[in-house]
Amino acid sequence: MTMRRELTFLLALWKANLLSAMEYRAAFISQVIGMMLNNAVYFAFWVIFFDRFQEVRGWGLDEMLLLFAVVAVSFGLGVYLFGNVMRIAEAIANGRLDYYLSLPRPVLLHLLASRSIASGFGDFLYGLICFAVAGRWTPDAVARFVVGSLLSMIVFLSFLILVQSLAFWMGSATLVSAQAANALLTFSLYPITLFDGTAKFLLFTILPAAFIGAVPAEFVRTFSWSTLAHLLLAASLLLALAVALFQRGMRRYESGSAIQVQV
Amino acid sequence: MPAIRAEGLRKTFVTRRKAAGLRGSLRALFHPDRQTVEAVRGISFEMEEGELLGFIGPNGAGKSTTIKMLTGILYPTAGQATVLGFVPWEQRQQLAYRIGTVFGQRPQLWYHLPAIDTFYLFGKIYELDDRTIRRRIAFLAEAFEIEHLLETPVRKLSLGQRMRCEIAASLLHHPRLLLLDEPSIGLDVVAKQRIRDTIRRMNELEGVGVLLTSHDAGDIEALCRRVIIINHGQIVYQDKVSALKRRYLTSKLVEVRYAHQVPRDFRVEGTQVLKIGRYGVKLRFDTRQTPVEAVIARLAEAGNLVDVTISDPSLEEVIRTIYQEQAEP
Repeated sequence: MTMRRELTFLLALWKANLLSAMEYRAAFISQVIGMMLNNAVYFAFWVIFFDRFQEVRGWGLDEMLLLFAVVAVSFGLGVYLFGNVMRIAEAIANGRLDYYLSLPRPVLLHLLASRSIASGFGDFLYGLICFAVAGRWTPDAVARFVVGSLLSMIVFLSFLILVQSLAFWMGSATLVSAQAANALLTFSLYPITLFDGTAKFLLFTILPAAFIGAVPAEFVRTFSWSTLAHLLLAASLLLALAVALFQRGMRRYESGSAIQVQV
Repeated sequence: MPAIRAEGLRKTFVTRRKAAGLRGSLRALFHPDRQTVEAVRGISFEMEEGELLGFIGPNGAGKSTTIKMLTGILYPTAGQATVLGFVPWEQRQQLAYRIGTVFGQRPQLWYHLPAIDTFYLFGKIYELDDRTIRRRIAFLAEAFEIEHLLETPVRKLSLGQRMRCEIAASLLHHPRLLLLDEPSIGLDVVAKQRIRDTIRRMNELEGVGVLLTSHDAGDIEALCRRVIIINHGQIVYQDKVSALKRRYLTSKLVEVRYAHQVPRDFRVEGTQVLKIGRYGVKLRFDTRQTPVEAVIARLAEAGNLVDVTISDPSLEEVIRTIYQEQAEP
Protein backbone atom coordinates (compact mmCIF):
# COMPACT_ATOMS: atom_id res chain seq x y z
CA MET A 1 0.00 0.00 0.00
CA THR A 2 2.79 2.41 0.99
CA MET A 3 4.80 1.39 -2.10
CA ARG A 4 1.80 2.08 -4.33
CA ARG A 5 1.21 5.49 -2.68
CA GLU A 6 4.83 6.50 -3.17
CA LEU A 7 4.83 5.24 -6.75
CA THR A 8 1.73 7.33 -7.57
CA PHE A 9 3.50 10.30 -6.00
CA LEU A 10 6.69 9.64 -7.99
CA LEU A 11 4.71 9.33 -11.22
CA ALA A 12 3.09 12.72 -10.53
CA LEU A 13 6.53 14.30 -9.95
CA TRP A 14 7.99 12.74 -13.10
CA LYS A 15 5.00 14.01 -15.05
CA ALA A 16 5.61 17.54 -13.71
CA ASN A 17 9.28 17.25 -14.70
CA LEU A 18 8.28 16.17 -18.19
CA LEU A 19 5.83 19.09 -18.47
CA SER A 20 8.64 21.45 -17.36
CA ALA A 21 10.97 20.00 -20.01
CA MET A 22 8.24 20.41 -22.65
CA GLU A 23 8.23 24.15 -21.92
CA TYR A 24 11.71 24.20 -23.46
CA ARG A 25 11.53 21.46 -26.09
CA ALA A 26 14.49 22.64 -28.19
CA ALA A 27 16.78 22.76 -25.14
CA PHE A 28 15.64 19.28 -24.09
CA ILE A 29 16.24 17.71 -27.51
CA SER A 30 19.62 19.41 -27.98
CA GLN A 31 20.81 18.20 -24.55
CA VAL A 32 19.72 14.63 -25.31
CA ILE A 33 21.41 14.57 -28.72
CA GLY A 34 24.49 16.41 -27.39
CA MET A 35 25.02 13.83 -24.66
CA MET A 36 24.63 10.91 -27.10
CA LEU A 37 27.28 12.46 -29.38
CA ASN A 38 29.54 13.10 -26.40
CA ASN A 39 29.29 9.43 -25.36
CA ALA A 40 29.87 8.25 -28.93
CA VAL A 41 33.11 10.26 -29.18
CA TYR A 42 34.29 8.84 -25.84
CA PHE A 43 33.50 5.28 -26.89
CA ALA A 44 35.26 5.79 -30.24
CA PHE A 45 38.51 5.86 -28.24
CA TRP A 46 37.89 2.30 -27.00
CA VAL A 47 36.95 1.12 -30.52
CA ILE A 48 40.33 2.38 -31.80
CA PHE A 49 42.10 0.93 -28.74
CA PHE A 50 40.65 -2.57 -29.14
CA ASP A 51 41.24 -2.46 -32.88
CA ARG A 52 44.99 -2.37 -32.07
CA PHE A 53 45.22 -4.49 -28.91
CA GLN A 54 42.26 -6.90 -29.26
CA GLU A 55 41.97 -7.35 -25.48
CA VAL A 56 43.20 -6.13 -22.11
CA ARG A 57 43.48 -8.82 -19.44
CA GLY A 58 40.54 -10.73 -20.84
CA TRP A 59 38.40 -7.68 -21.75
CA GLY A 60 37.51 -6.97 -25.37
CA LEU A 61 35.14 -4.63 -27.20
CA ASP A 62 32.15 -6.83 -26.39
CA GLU A 63 32.78 -6.51 -22.63
CA MET A 64 33.29 -2.75 -23.00
CA LEU A 65 30.00 -2.40 -24.89
CA LEU A 66 28.10 -4.14 -22.11
CA LEU A 67 29.94 -2.10 -19.46
CA PHE A 68 29.03 1.13 -21.26
CA ALA A 69 25.44 -0.06 -21.71
CA VAL A 70 24.98 -0.74 -18.01
CA VAL A 71 26.73 2.42 -16.75
CA ALA A 72 25.04 4.72 -19.27
CA VAL A 73 21.56 3.32 -18.54
CA SER A 74 22.17 3.36 -14.78
CA PHE A 75 23.62 6.89 -14.67
CA GLY A 76 21.24 8.25 -17.33
CA LEU A 77 18.10 6.89 -15.73
CA GLY A 78 19.35 7.93 -12.28
CA VAL A 79 19.87 11.58 -13.15
CA TYR A 80 16.83 11.73 -15.43
CA LEU A 81 14.39 10.39 -12.82
CA PHE A 82 16.19 11.64 -9.69
CA GLY A 83 18.00 14.71 -11.03
CA ASN A 84 18.44 16.43 -7.69
CA VAL A 85 20.86 13.68 -6.68
CA MET A 86 23.59 16.03 -7.92
CA ARG A 87 22.30 18.90 -5.78
CA ILE A 88 21.62 17.39 -2.36
CA ALA A 89 24.62 19.09 -0.72
CA GLU A 90 23.65 22.43 -2.24
CA ALA A 91 20.04 22.04 -1.07
CA ILE A 92 21.21 21.29 2.48
CA ALA A 93 23.65 24.21 2.56
CA ASN A 94 21.17 26.71 1.08
CA GLY A 95 18.22 25.70 3.25
CA ARG A 96 16.27 24.44 0.25
CA LEU A 97 14.93 21.42 2.15
CA ASP A 98 12.29 23.69 3.76
CA TYR A 99 10.06 23.22 0.73
CA TYR A 100 10.09 19.43 1.00
CA LEU A 101 9.73 19.50 4.78
CA SER A 102 6.54 21.53 4.58
CA LEU A 103 4.85 18.91 2.37
CA PRO A 104 3.62 15.55 3.65
CA ARG A 105 5.99 13.27 1.73
CA PRO A 106 9.35 11.61 2.41
CA VAL A 107 11.87 14.45 2.11
CA LEU A 108 14.67 12.54 0.39
CA LEU A 109 12.46 10.90 -2.23
CA HIS A 110 10.64 14.17 -2.91
CA LEU A 111 13.89 16.09 -3.24
CA LEU A 112 15.52 13.55 -5.55
CA ALA A 113 12.60 13.27 -7.96
CA SER A 114 11.82 17.00 -8.13
CA ARG A 115 14.30 17.62 -10.89
CA SER A 116 15.15 15.92 -14.10
CA ILE A 117 18.44 16.29 -15.97
CA ALA A 118 17.60 16.15 -19.67
CA SER A 119 21.04 14.97 -20.78
CA GLY A 120 20.48 11.87 -18.63
CA PHE A 121 17.88 10.77 -21.15
CA GLY A 122 20.62 10.98 -23.80
CA ASP A 123 22.85 8.72 -21.67
CA PHE A 124 19.94 6.32 -21.20
CA LEU A 125 19.26 6.07 -24.95
CA TYR A 126 22.98 5.68 -25.64
CA GLY A 127 23.13 2.82 -23.14
CA LEU A 128 20.23 1.08 -24.88
CA ILE A 129 21.99 1.45 -28.24
CA CYS A 130 25.20 -0.04 -26.77
CA PHE A 131 23.21 -3.00 -25.45
CA ALA A 132 21.52 -3.47 -28.82
CA VAL A 133 24.90 -3.34 -30.62
CA ALA A 134 26.35 -5.92 -28.20
CA GLY A 135 23.79 -8.27 -29.74
CA ARG A 136 22.59 -10.19 -26.68
CA TRP A 137 18.95 -10.19 -27.56
CA THR A 138 17.76 -13.23 -25.66
CA PRO A 139 14.96 -12.64 -23.10
CA ASP A 140 17.32 -13.88 -20.36
CA ALA A 141 20.01 -11.35 -21.22
CA VAL A 142 17.46 -8.51 -21.48
CA ALA A 143 16.06 -9.40 -18.04
CA ARG A 144 19.60 -9.50 -16.59
CA PHE A 145 20.36 -6.15 -18.23
CA VAL A 146 17.26 -4.57 -16.65
CA VAL A 147 18.02 -6.00 -13.18
CA GLY A 148 21.74 -5.22 -13.39
CA SER A 149 21.17 -1.63 -14.54
CA LEU A 150 18.55 -0.95 -11.85
CA LEU A 151 20.80 -2.31 -9.08
CA SER A 152 23.71 -0.30 -10.49
CA MET A 153 21.48 2.81 -10.42
CA ILE A 154 20.62 2.19 -6.76
CA VAL A 155 24.33 1.91 -5.89
CA PHE A 156 25.11 5.10 -7.83
CA LEU A 157 22.27 7.10 -6.22
CA SER A 158 23.02 5.77 -2.73
CA PHE A 159 26.70 6.63 -2.94
CA LEU A 160 25.92 10.21 -3.98
CA ILE A 161 23.34 10.56 -1.19
CA LEU A 162 25.92 9.29 1.31
CA VAL A 163 28.65 11.68 0.23
CA GLN A 164 26.39 14.69 -0.05
CA SER A 165 24.72 14.09 3.31
CA LEU A 166 28.07 15.09 4.79
CA ALA A 167 26.89 18.66 4.11
CA PHE A 168 24.77 18.37 7.27
CA TRP A 169 28.02 18.19 9.26
CA MET A 170 30.46 20.02 7.01
CA GLY A 171 28.19 22.90 6.00
CA SER A 172 29.23 22.64 2.38
CA ALA A 173 30.05 19.45 0.54
CA THR A 174 29.39 20.57 -3.02
CA LEU A 175 32.99 20.25 -4.22
CA VAL A 176 33.60 16.91 -2.48
CA SER A 177 30.36 15.61 -4.00
CA ALA A 178 31.30 16.69 -7.52
CA GLN A 179 34.71 15.03 -7.17
CA ALA A 180 33.18 11.85 -5.76
CA ALA A 181 30.65 11.65 -8.61
CA ASN A 182 33.38 12.16 -11.22
CA ALA A 183 35.65 9.58 -9.66
CA LEU A 184 32.80 7.07 -9.39
CA LEU A 185 31.86 7.47 -13.04
CA THR A 186 35.43 7.45 -14.32
CA PHE A 187 36.45 4.29 -12.49
CA SER A 188 33.21 2.48 -13.33
CA LEU A 189 34.01 2.86 -17.04
CA TYR A 190 37.40 1.05 -16.99
CA PRO A 191 37.85 -2.72 -17.36
CA ILE A 192 37.97 -4.00 -13.77
CA THR A 193 40.81 -6.39 -14.69
CA LEU A 194 43.12 -3.38 -14.95
CA PHE A 195 43.04 -3.02 -11.18
CA ASP A 196 44.29 -5.34 -8.51
CA GLY A 197 45.31 -5.25 -4.86
CA THR A 198 44.44 -2.08 -2.98
CA ALA A 199 42.92 -0.33 -5.99
CA LYS A 200 40.50 -3.19 -6.56
CA PHE A 201 39.63 -3.29 -2.86
CA LEU A 202 38.83 0.45 -2.94
CA LEU A 203 36.57 0.03 -5.99
CA PHE A 204 34.52 -2.54 -4.11
CA THR A 205 34.30 -0.51 -0.88
CA ILE A 206 35.03 3.20 -0.40
CA LEU A 207 34.42 4.13 -4.04
CA PRO A 208 32.01 1.37 -5.11
CA ALA A 209 32.55 1.85 -8.86
CA ALA A 210 32.79 -1.91 -9.37
CA PHE A 211 29.13 -2.31 -8.35
CA ILE A 212 28.10 0.32 -10.88
CA GLY A 213 30.02 -1.01 -13.87
CA ALA A 214 32.01 -4.26 -13.73
CA VAL A 215 29.82 -6.43 -11.47
CA PRO A 216 26.44 -5.69 -13.14
CA ALA A 217 28.08 -5.96 -16.59
CA GLU A 218 29.45 -9.37 -15.58
CA PHE A 219 25.93 -10.33 -14.42
CA VAL A 220 24.49 -9.33 -17.82
CA ARG A 221 27.14 -11.45 -19.56
CA THR A 222 26.58 -14.64 -17.55
CA PHE A 223 24.07 -15.40 -14.85
CA SER A 224 25.46 -16.37 -11.48
CA TRP A 225 23.69 -16.47 -8.14
CA SER A 226 26.79 -15.22 -6.37
CA THR A 227 27.12 -12.13 -8.62
CA LEU A 228 23.43 -11.37 -8.11
CA ALA A 229 23.80 -11.81 -4.34
CA HIS A 230 26.82 -9.46 -4.28
CA LEU A 231 24.94 -6.85 -6.27
CA LEU A 232 21.80 -7.10 -4.14
CA LEU A 233 23.83 -6.93 -0.95
CA ALA A 234 25.83 -3.89 -2.10
CA ALA A 235 22.73 -2.05 -3.34
CA SER A 236 20.63 -2.69 -0.25
CA LEU A 237 23.47 -1.98 2.18
CA LEU A 238 24.44 1.29 0.52
CA LEU A 239 20.81 2.39 0.19
CA ALA A 240 20.11 1.66 3.86
CA LEU A 241 23.28 3.51 4.90
CA ALA A 242 22.47 6.49 2.66
CA VAL A 243 18.89 6.85 3.94
CA ALA A 244 20.02 6.44 7.57
CA LEU A 245 22.77 9.05 7.24
CA PHE A 246 20.42 11.51 5.53
CA GLN A 247 17.77 11.03 8.24
CA ARG A 248 20.39 11.46 10.95
CA GLY A 249 21.62 14.62 9.27
CA MET A 250 18.09 16.04 9.08
CA ARG A 251 18.17 16.60 12.83
CA ARG A 252 21.04 19.00 12.26
CA TYR A 253 19.36 20.81 9.36
CA GLU A 254 19.50 24.55 9.91
CA SER A 255 17.23 25.88 7.16
CA GLY A 256 18.09 29.33 5.79
CA SER A 257 16.58 32.64 4.82
CA ALA A 258 17.88 33.03 1.27
CA ILE A 259 15.33 34.07 -1.34
CA GLN A 260 14.70 30.96 -3.37
CA VAL A 261 13.28 30.04 -6.71
CA GLN A 262 11.82 26.60 -7.35
CA VAL A 263 13.07 25.16 -10.64
CA MET B 1 -8.04 22.20 22.35
CA PRO B 2 -5.90 25.07 21.10
CA ALA B 3 -4.65 24.86 17.50
CA ILE B 4 -1.15 25.80 18.63
CA ARG B 5 0.37 25.48 22.06
CA ALA B 6 4.04 26.48 22.44
CA GLU B 7 5.90 26.34 25.73
CA GLY B 8 9.40 27.69 26.19
CA LEU B 9 10.43 27.16 22.56
CA ARG B 10 14.12 27.85 22.03
CA LYS B 11 16.38 27.62 19.04
CA THR B 12 20.08 28.29 19.02
CA PHE B 13 22.35 28.18 16.01
CA VAL B 14 26.10 27.81 16.10
CA THR B 15 27.83 30.15 13.70
CA ARG B 16 31.45 30.79 12.89
CA ARG B 17 32.93 34.23 13.19
CA LYS B 18 35.91 35.32 11.22
CA ALA B 19 37.80 38.56 10.85
CA ALA B 20 37.89 40.28 7.47
CA GLY B 21 40.41 39.36 4.80
CA LEU B 22 42.75 36.47 4.06
CA ARG B 23 44.47 36.61 7.45
CA GLY B 24 41.08 36.29 9.15
CA SER B 25 40.18 33.32 6.95
CA LEU B 26 43.49 31.57 7.71
CA ARG B 27 43.11 32.14 11.43
CA ALA B 28 39.52 30.83 11.31
CA LEU B 29 40.76 27.73 9.53
CA PHE B 30 42.99 26.68 12.45
CA HIS B 31 41.23 28.40 15.36
CA PRO B 32 37.55 28.65 14.43
CA ASP B 33 35.71 31.12 16.61
CA ARG B 34 32.31 29.52 17.13
CA GLN B 35 29.49 31.63 18.45
CA THR B 36 26.07 30.59 19.67
CA VAL B 37 23.22 32.71 18.39
CA GLU B 38 19.91 32.47 20.20
CA ALA B 39 17.33 33.01 17.47
CA VAL B 40 14.33 32.13 19.67
CA ARG B 41 14.61 32.51 23.45
CA GLY B 42 11.77 30.75 25.23
CA ILE B 43 8.56 31.59 23.40
CA SER B 44 5.24 30.50 24.92
CA PHE B 45 1.80 31.19 23.49
CA GLU B 46 -1.49 29.61 22.50
CA MET B 47 -3.65 30.03 19.43
CA GLU B 48 -7.29 28.96 19.17
CA GLU B 49 -8.73 27.07 16.19
CA GLY B 50 -10.00 29.46 13.50
CA GLU B 51 -8.19 32.42 15.05
CA LEU B 52 -6.42 35.10 13.01
CA LEU B 53 -3.20 35.65 14.91
CA GLY B 54 -0.48 38.09 13.91
CA PHE B 55 3.13 37.46 14.68
CA ILE B 56 5.14 40.58 14.08
CA GLY B 57 8.62 41.80 14.69
CA PRO B 58 11.51 43.41 12.86
CA ASN B 59 13.83 41.45 10.56
CA GLY B 60 15.83 38.86 12.50
CA ALA B 61 13.43 38.86 15.46
CA GLY B 62 12.88 35.07 15.27
CA LYS B 63 9.49 34.97 13.52
CA SER B 64 10.47 32.63 10.70
CA THR B 65 12.47 30.36 13.03
CA THR B 66 9.39 30.00 15.25
CA ILE B 67 7.16 29.18 12.26
CA LYS B 68 9.74 26.67 11.02
CA MET B 69 9.69 24.91 14.39
CA LEU B 70 5.88 24.88 14.38
CA THR B 71 5.78 23.28 10.92
CA GLY B 72 8.42 20.65 11.74
CA ILE B 73 11.10 22.12 9.48
CA LEU B 74 13.44 22.77 12.42
CA TYR B 75 14.06 20.84 15.62
CA PRO B 76 13.92 23.16 18.63
CA THR B 77 16.90 23.31 20.97
CA ALA B 78 14.49 23.20 23.92
CA GLY B 79 10.82 23.58 24.71
CA GLN B 80 7.61 21.90 23.63
CA ALA B 81 4.88 22.55 21.10
CA THR B 82 1.80 20.91 19.69
CA VAL B 83 0.10 22.01 16.50
CA LEU B 84 -3.40 20.54 15.97
CA GLY B 85 -2.41 17.95 18.57
CA PHE B 86 0.79 16.88 16.78
CA VAL B 87 4.38 17.46 17.85
CA PRO B 88 5.62 19.11 14.61
CA TRP B 89 9.20 17.83 14.53
CA GLU B 90 8.16 14.27 15.43
CA GLN B 91 4.94 13.97 13.42
CA ARG B 92 5.80 16.24 10.51
CA GLN B 93 4.06 14.25 7.77
CA GLN B 94 0.76 13.77 9.65
CA LEU B 95 0.75 17.47 10.49
CA ALA B 96 1.55 18.55 6.93
CA TYR B 97 -1.70 16.92 5.70
CA ARG B 98 -3.64 19.28 7.99
CA ILE B 99 -1.82 22.59 7.66
CA GLY B 100 -0.97 24.89 4.78
CA THR B 101 2.23 26.91 4.65
CA VAL B 102 3.32 29.85 2.56
CA PHE B 103 6.78 31.35 2.85
CA GLY B 104 6.92 34.70 1.06
CA GLN B 105 10.57 34.25 0.19
CA ARG B 106 10.31 30.62 -0.88
CA PRO B 107 7.91 29.87 -3.71
CA GLN B 108 6.15 26.51 -3.81
CA LEU B 109 4.84 26.78 -7.35
CA TRP B 110 6.99 25.26 -10.08
CA TYR B 111 8.64 28.22 -11.77
CA HIS B 112 8.46 27.07 -15.39
CA LEU B 113 4.98 25.55 -15.24
CA PRO B 114 1.54 27.18 -15.20
CA ALA B 115 0.13 27.27 -11.65
CA ILE B 116 -2.58 24.77 -12.57
CA ASP B 117 0.05 22.04 -13.14
CA THR B 118 1.47 22.57 -9.63
CA PHE B 119 -2.10 22.54 -8.27
CA TYR B 120 -2.64 19.09 -9.80
CA LEU B 121 0.76 17.92 -8.50
CA PHE B 122 -0.17 19.14 -5.01
CA GLY B 123 -3.45 17.25 -5.36
CA LYS B 124 -1.42 14.06 -5.83
CA ILE B 125 0.95 14.99 -2.99
CA TYR B 126 -2.03 15.42 -0.65
CA GLU B 127 -3.67 12.29 -2.10
CA LEU B 128 -6.86 13.97 -3.30
CA ASP B 129 -8.86 12.21 -6.01
CA ASP B 130 -9.15 13.87 -9.42
CA ARG B 131 -12.75 14.99 -8.96
CA THR B 132 -12.02 16.63 -5.61
CA ILE B 133 -8.95 18.40 -7.03
CA ARG B 134 -10.90 19.79 -9.99
CA ARG B 135 -13.72 21.08 -7.79
CA ARG B 136 -11.33 22.56 -5.26
CA ILE B 137 -9.27 24.33 -7.94
CA ALA B 138 -12.46 25.80 -9.45
CA PHE B 139 -13.56 27.06 -6.03
CA LEU B 140 -10.19 28.57 -5.10
CA ALA B 141 -9.68 30.09 -8.56
CA GLU B 142 -12.93 32.00 -8.11
CA ALA B 143 -12.27 32.97 -4.49
CA PHE B 144 -8.77 34.27 -5.28
CA GLU B 145 -9.77 35.73 -8.69
CA ILE B 146 -7.02 33.80 -10.43
CA GLU B 147 -9.03 31.96 -13.14
CA HIS B 148 -7.29 33.93 -15.88
CA LEU B 149 -3.81 33.32 -14.39
CA LEU B 150 -3.90 29.57 -13.93
CA GLU B 151 -2.62 28.65 -17.37
CA THR B 152 0.20 31.21 -17.52
CA PRO B 153 3.69 29.96 -16.60
CA VAL B 154 4.47 31.15 -13.07
CA ARG B 155 7.64 32.91 -14.23
CA LYS B 156 5.44 35.31 -16.21
CA LEU B 157 3.19 36.32 -13.28
CA SER B 158 3.66 39.48 -11.25
CA LEU B 159 4.68 39.05 -7.59
CA GLY B 160 1.15 39.85 -6.37
CA GLN B 161 -0.46 37.43 -8.84
CA ARG B 162 2.02 34.74 -7.91
CA MET B 163 1.41 35.19 -4.20
CA ARG B 164 -2.37 34.80 -4.71
CA CYS B 165 -1.68 31.54 -6.54
CA GLU B 166 0.74 30.45 -3.78
CA ILE B 167 -1.86 30.97 -1.05
CA ALA B 168 -4.54 29.23 -3.14
CA ALA B 169 -2.16 26.26 -3.57
CA SER B 170 -1.63 26.06 0.19
CA LEU B 171 -5.41 25.73 0.69
CA LEU B 172 -5.98 22.92 -1.83
CA HIS B 173 -6.19 20.19 0.82
CA HIS B 174 -8.65 22.03 3.15
CA PRO B 175 -6.09 22.71 5.90
CA ARG B 176 -7.39 23.63 9.35
CA LEU B 177 -4.50 26.01 9.90
CA LEU B 178 -2.58 28.26 7.55
CA LEU B 179 0.90 29.47 8.47
CA LEU B 180 1.90 32.46 6.38
CA ASP B 181 5.44 33.77 6.68
CA GLU B 182 5.73 37.28 5.24
CA PRO B 183 3.12 36.78 2.50
CA SER B 184 3.12 40.47 1.61
CA ILE B 185 6.88 40.93 1.30
CA GLY B 186 7.75 43.06 -1.71
CA LEU B 187 4.12 43.70 -2.70
CA ASP B 188 2.65 47.09 -3.56
CA VAL B 189 -0.26 48.56 -1.59
CA VAL B 190 -2.99 47.28 -3.92
CA ALA B 191 -1.58 43.74 -4.11
CA LYS B 192 -1.19 43.68 -0.31
CA GLN B 193 -4.82 44.67 0.13
CA ARG B 194 -6.05 41.94 -2.22
CA ILE B 195 -4.04 39.30 -0.37
CA ARG B 196 -5.38 40.52 2.97
CA ASP B 197 -9.00 40.50 1.71
CA THR B 198 -8.69 36.96 0.38
CA ILE B 199 -7.12 35.60 3.57
CA ARG B 200 -9.91 37.16 5.63
CA ARG B 201 -12.53 35.72 3.28
CA MET B 202 -11.11 32.19 3.50
CA ASN B 203 -11.09 32.50 7.29
CA GLU B 204 -14.77 33.46 7.23
CA LEU B 205 -15.78 30.87 4.61
CA GLU B 206 -13.89 27.82 5.84
CA GLY B 207 -12.92 28.72 9.40
CA VAL B 208 -9.25 28.14 8.63
CA GLY B 209 -7.03 29.51 11.39
CA VAL B 210 -4.27 31.84 10.23
CA LEU B 211 -0.93 32.51 11.88
CA LEU B 212 0.60 35.35 9.95
CA THR B 213 4.09 36.76 10.35
CA SER B 214 5.02 40.13 9.00
CA HIS B 215 7.37 42.98 9.62
CA ASP B 216 4.59 45.30 8.42
CA ALA B 217 2.22 46.33 11.23
CA GLY B 218 -0.35 47.25 8.54
CA ASP B 219 -0.86 43.55 7.66
CA ILE B 220 -1.77 42.71 11.21
CA GLU B 221 -3.91 45.80 11.71
CA ALA B 222 -5.97 44.94 8.63
CA LEU B 223 -6.30 41.24 9.25
CA CYS B 224 -5.77 39.93 12.76
CA ARG B 225 -7.74 40.08 15.97
CA ARG B 226 -4.82 39.24 18.22
CA VAL B 227 -1.17 40.07 17.89
CA ILE B 228 2.11 38.85 19.30
CA ILE B 229 5.13 41.10 18.96
CA ILE B 230 8.49 39.39 19.03
CA ASN B 231 11.89 41.02 19.26
CA HIS B 232 15.33 39.48 19.79
CA GLY B 233 13.67 36.04 20.02
CA GLN B 234 11.31 36.94 22.85
CA ILE B 235 7.66 37.94 23.09
CA VAL B 236 7.51 41.60 24.09
CA TYR B 237 3.75 42.08 23.73
CA GLN B 238 0.63 40.00 23.18
CA ASP B 239 -2.90 41.32 23.20
CA LYS B 240 -5.84 42.15 20.94
CA VAL B 241 -5.02 44.23 17.87
CA SER B 242 -7.61 46.77 19.01
CA ALA B 243 -5.63 47.23 22.23
CA LEU B 244 -2.38 47.60 20.29
CA LYS B 245 -3.99 50.21 18.04
CA ARG B 246 -5.43 52.07 20.99
CA ARG B 247 -2.15 52.14 22.84
CA TYR B 248 0.62 52.21 20.25
CA LEU B 249 -0.71 52.80 16.74
CA THR B 250 -2.25 56.13 17.65
CA SER B 251 -0.22 58.29 15.33
CA LYS B 252 0.18 58.35 11.57
CA LEU B 253 2.83 59.85 9.36
CA VAL B 254 1.89 61.93 6.30
CA GLU B 255 4.19 62.92 3.50
CA VAL B 256 2.82 65.48 1.03
CA ARG B 257 4.17 67.05 -2.12
CA TYR B 258 2.86 70.30 -3.55
CA ALA B 259 3.05 71.70 -7.08
CA HIS B 260 4.60 74.87 -5.65
CA GLN B 261 7.26 75.71 -3.09
CA VAL B 262 6.35 75.21 0.55
CA PRO B 263 6.78 78.21 2.92
CA ARG B 264 9.33 77.69 5.71
CA ASP B 265 6.66 78.40 8.37
CA PHE B 266 4.23 75.79 7.00
CA ARG B 267 1.74 74.67 9.69
CA VAL B 268 -1.44 72.55 9.66
CA GLU B 269 -3.78 72.48 12.61
CA GLY B 270 -3.80 69.22 14.61
CA THR B 271 -0.47 67.99 13.20
CA GLN B 272 3.17 68.20 14.12
CA VAL B 273 5.54 69.16 11.31
CA LEU B 274 8.59 66.86 11.27
CA LYS B 275 10.40 68.09 8.19
CA ILE B 276 9.96 70.77 5.54
CA GLY B 277 11.56 70.39 2.13
CA ARG B 278 11.38 72.63 -0.92
CA TYR B 279 8.15 71.10 -2.26
CA GLY B 280 7.32 68.50 0.38
CA VAL B 281 6.41 68.27 4.04
CA LYS B 282 6.45 65.40 6.54
CA LEU B 283 3.97 65.53 9.41
CA ARG B 284 2.74 63.39 12.27
CA PHE B 285 -0.72 63.48 13.84
CA ASP B 286 -2.64 61.66 16.56
CA THR B 287 -5.67 59.83 15.09
CA ARG B 288 -7.50 60.01 18.43
CA GLN B 289 -7.51 63.79 18.25
CA THR B 290 -7.48 64.52 14.52
CA PRO B 291 -9.24 62.22 12.02
CA VAL B 292 -7.40 61.31 8.81
CA GLU B 293 -9.98 63.01 6.56
CA ALA B 294 -9.64 66.28 8.49
CA VAL B 295 -5.85 66.26 7.99
CA ILE B 296 -6.22 65.54 4.26
CA ALA B 297 -8.81 68.32 3.87
CA ARG B 298 -6.54 70.82 5.65
CA LEU B 299 -3.53 69.80 3.57
CA ALA B 300 -5.57 70.22 0.38
CA GLU B 301 -6.69 73.68 1.51
CA ALA B 302 -3.05 74.67 2.05
CA GLY B 303 -2.12 74.36 -1.64
CA ASN B 304 -2.14 72.42 -4.89
CA LEU B 305 -1.46 68.77 -3.83
CA VAL B 306 0.58 66.48 -6.11
CA ASP B 307 1.08 63.44 -3.89
CA VAL B 308 0.08 62.20 -0.41
CA THR B 309 1.40 59.12 1.46
CA ILE B 310 0.00 58.07 4.83
CA SER B 311 1.84 55.42 6.84
CA ASP B 312 1.89 53.85 10.29
CA PRO B 313 4.80 54.36 12.63
CA SER B 314 7.45 51.72 11.98
CA LEU B 315 7.39 48.54 13.99
CA GLU B 316 10.73 49.51 15.50
CA GLU B 317 9.10 52.68 16.82
CA VAL B 318 6.20 50.70 18.35
CA ILE B 319 8.64 48.26 19.98
CA ARG B 320 10.71 51.15 21.33
CA THR B 321 7.58 52.60 22.95
CA ILE B 322 6.67 49.20 24.44
CA TYR B 323 10.18 48.84 25.90
CA GLN B 324 10.03 52.36 27.31
CA GLU B 325 6.70 51.60 29.00
CA GLN B 326 8.00 48.29 30.39
CA ALA B 327 11.11 50.00 31.73
CA GLU B 328 9.05 52.57 33.60
CA PRO B 329 8.18 51.47 37.16
